[in-house]
Amino acid sequence: MKQEAIPLPHDAAMAVERLERLVQREREGRLQAEAIAERGLRELYESQVRLALLQRITDCANRSNDFSEAIGEVLKEICEHMNWAFGTAYRVEGYGAAVACDAWYTAEPARLFPLVEATRDRTFASGEGLPGRVLRDGHPHWIDESELATSFCRRVEAASCGIRSACGFPVLIGEEIVCVLEFFARTAMIDKDAILLTVTQAATQLARVIERERARAALLHDALHDAMTGLPNRTLLDERSRAAFERLPESREGLAVLVIDLDGFKAINDKYGHHAGDIVLIETARRFDSVITARMGGRRRGDQASWRATLARVGGDEFVVVLDALPDPAIAMDLSGALIDALKAPIQVADEYVNVGLSIGIAHSGTSYSSVEQLRQDADLAMYEAKSGGHGGVVTFSDSLGNERRNRMALESELRDAIREKQFTLYYQPIFALGKAGANTGKLRGFEALIRWNHPDRGLVEPGRFIPAAEAGGLIVFIGDWVLRQACSAMARLHRSLTERGFAPGELPYISINIAPQQFLQPTFSSHVQRVLLETGVPPELVRLEVTEGVAIIDPDQTRQVLEQVRSWGVKTSLDDFGTGYSSLSYLQNLPFDTLKIDRSFIASMDDPKSRKIIRAILDLASNLNLSVVAEGIETMEQGASLREMGCEYGQGYHLGRPLDEASAFALVWPEGTASAA
Amino acid sequence: MKGVVFNLLEDAVVREHGLLAWDGLLEMAGLDGAYTSLGSYPDSEVVRLVDAASTALGLSAGEVLRWFGRSAIPLLHERYEMFFTPHKNAQSFVASINDIIHPEVRKLYAGAGCPHFHFHDLEDGRTGLAYKSPRRMCRLAHGFIEGAADHYGDRVAIEHLACMLDGQPVCRIALDWNP
Repeated sequence: MKQEAIPLPHDAAMAVERLERLVQREREGRLQAEAIAERGLRELYESQVRLALLQRITDCANRSNDFSEAIGEVLKEICEHMNWAFGTAYRVEGYGAAVACDAWYTAEPARLFPLVEATRDRTFASGEGLPGRVLRDGHPHWIDESELATSFCRRVEAASCGIRSACGFPVLIGEEIVCVLEFFARTAMIDKDAILLTVTQAATQLARVIERERARAALLHDALHDAMTGLPNRTLLDERSRAAFERLPESREGLAVLVIDLDGFKAINDKYGHHAGDIVLIETARRFDSVITARMGGRRRGDQASWRATLARVGGDEFVVVLDALPDPAIAMDLSGALIDALKAPIQVADEYVNVGLSIGIAHSGTSYSSVEQLRQDADLAMYEAKSGGHGGVVTFSDSLGNERRNRMALESELRDAIREKQFTLYYQPIFALGKAGANTGKLRGFEALIRWNHPDRGLVEPGRFIPAAEAGGLIVFIGDWVLRQACSAMARLHRSLTERGFAPGELPYISINIAPQQFLQPTFSSHVQRVLLETGVPPELVRLEVTEGVAIIDPDQTRQVLEQVRSWGVKTSLDDFGTGYSSLSYLQNLPFDTLKIDRSFIASMDDPKSRKIIRAILDLASNLNLSVVAEGIETMEQGASLREMGCEYGQGYHLGRPLDEASAFALVWPEGTASAA
Repeated sequence: MKGVVFNLLEDAVVREHGLLAWDGLLEMAGLDGAYTSLGSYPDSEVVRLVDAASTALGLSAGEVLRWFGRSAIPLLHERYEMFFTPHKNAQSFVASINDIIHPEVRKLYAGAGCPHFHFHDLEDGRTGLAYKSPRRMCRLAHGFIEGAADHYGDRVAIEHLACMLDGQPVCRIALDWNP
């Protein structure tokens, strides 16, 4: 660069002027450099502060499982960070309104009192006010000073607190608005981008807390509710009914327990499958719930109502309603009637319509109860009483029912002693071949073993007096086992002495033994039969196990398996009391029986042509299915003769032979010649 | 004290008294005077500059500070327009002063002491401003507020109810935005 190319000042004044320009340029360069650096530093600072804030909010969200706990801290952090006067939150519930949840923060409660008061209990419908607008649009809204002064719905309160701006933000879980945050400042909200960034991220953290809260609530709900019907389960029912019992007034009145059992549910499950059963239970629960809600005047538990109800599903087809704070005990009976009516309309299961009935037992609280469990037991007892009628209905627990229960409990206790002290004995009723038409009484073919209780005070007690109590008390299994073993060993003894006397195996009598459903359906029953056969040495083909239809109704699959198993060892099977229960032909077809026993009630009414037709039908059916038939309860010669005429092969009854003790019964077997020779 | 205060003072002096006046003031105060807004400098240097101006102009230190505050607002507006535009009036701008100052101070020195202006409502309807700082520059604040009113074309009546310069523990200033 040549020196003369650069113009230089000619005098001092010009030099000063130039130097001043130089300084000015330097100055502006410095200002620009400072501005660039300051802007960068300010952005860095703000992002650090925001990150620190978000870190605190995130920490708070991580710590908290409870929205109401977290929200206070989050509002405080945001307000302090933004220097805002007031922050509050609204929960959005299912029905689309923002409901103030009494979560708010202000550093100056006294100063902000009017606005806090105008806000903390408010509910904003969608579109209404700032929270409602956020709720409607799903995005943040800003309100500046002029709007705040003119159209803001809390403008009077806001003005009195010196508020100049406001903003509202949605808290979102996916697309769903779960909460609205609202903030007020006494200055303008300037840097909207920064505010948006900060509050949106805080809202994301709050959404996490709400999600966790929901997950917890769902877990808790699952633990306390029946998954299928959504009703409270036994745990929650126990909790609520105990609390209600604790709350009872001095009179101990006002609490009622309804135990509800579906009639015919098992049959639906069996016939249409478990899926159908589930549909029935869900629909039943739905109808019950709507009846109860309507009766409470549309009010649910927790609201102010004259009385409260908890409907729970406590077992397969068992529901319980606990009625609390009842002003009138008659409400329980009215409600029961309404529940029964609610199930009168059939329930659609796939393409079919099914009906279920109800058996309801009611028990009312009173001074005699010391726990709600006792109340439940009495309601249970009343329900069984209702069920035992066969047609369902409602039974309220009474003292006489209580007495029956006490008697039964006393009987059960005596039965325990009887089992321990071996007070039972077996009687044997002979079963005869009725012989050919026109001939006289035929040959003795076997015995039915019948239990008697040799009671120390009351003498011989008939089974009808104690077997139901033994069944209810779960003692039948022990008694039945004793009967099985006793009958088999007695028969084995008889067979030995008959064989010694030259009886051919084909001439030996069989023994028919009644098996109770509970005993039959024990998982170990068939192996137990096998053991008894081995230990007593009785020929299996001379043992007949009699069961009623009851077993097949309880568990048809298990029944078929057990019958098939015992028959595979040669044991015969017999369907007892045929004609009195369901008499389902499908059972007869599917279950392997050797013999049908016609119930004594048909024989007793043989004079009635209708009964005779039924007997004839049973005989035809048995003949077609290749089953032998035994008529029970033959009390007259005429009955015996008629049955013989109709082609019934075997019979038993007082006319043919009463039940006798072992020695007397077995003496019937000896032909006269042999007997006298003995 | 933040460097920007020295820069503003320099600008105010230069604008009113010429480029060389600032150099003269520095010379009187015995300071070398290289200040950048990115730096921070001893408070005593401001005091010395204000004292020098006070001597040179024949004004009290308080009057110099008030003049400086009022003159600084247009300069601040040139440098930091973004702090002014969101506000429609001086009252709103003044109310946001903490929001402006705190980040500006702390972005440079995280632990630096900030003046805090505590706004509150007075019973007579005026706005109260409480100020407490070891720098005791309430007159500078007074000038800033007047400058802000000038900028937005507003009127404000400022009354010192109590002053640290009079030995009070805190300065209390009343602002009447509708005099």
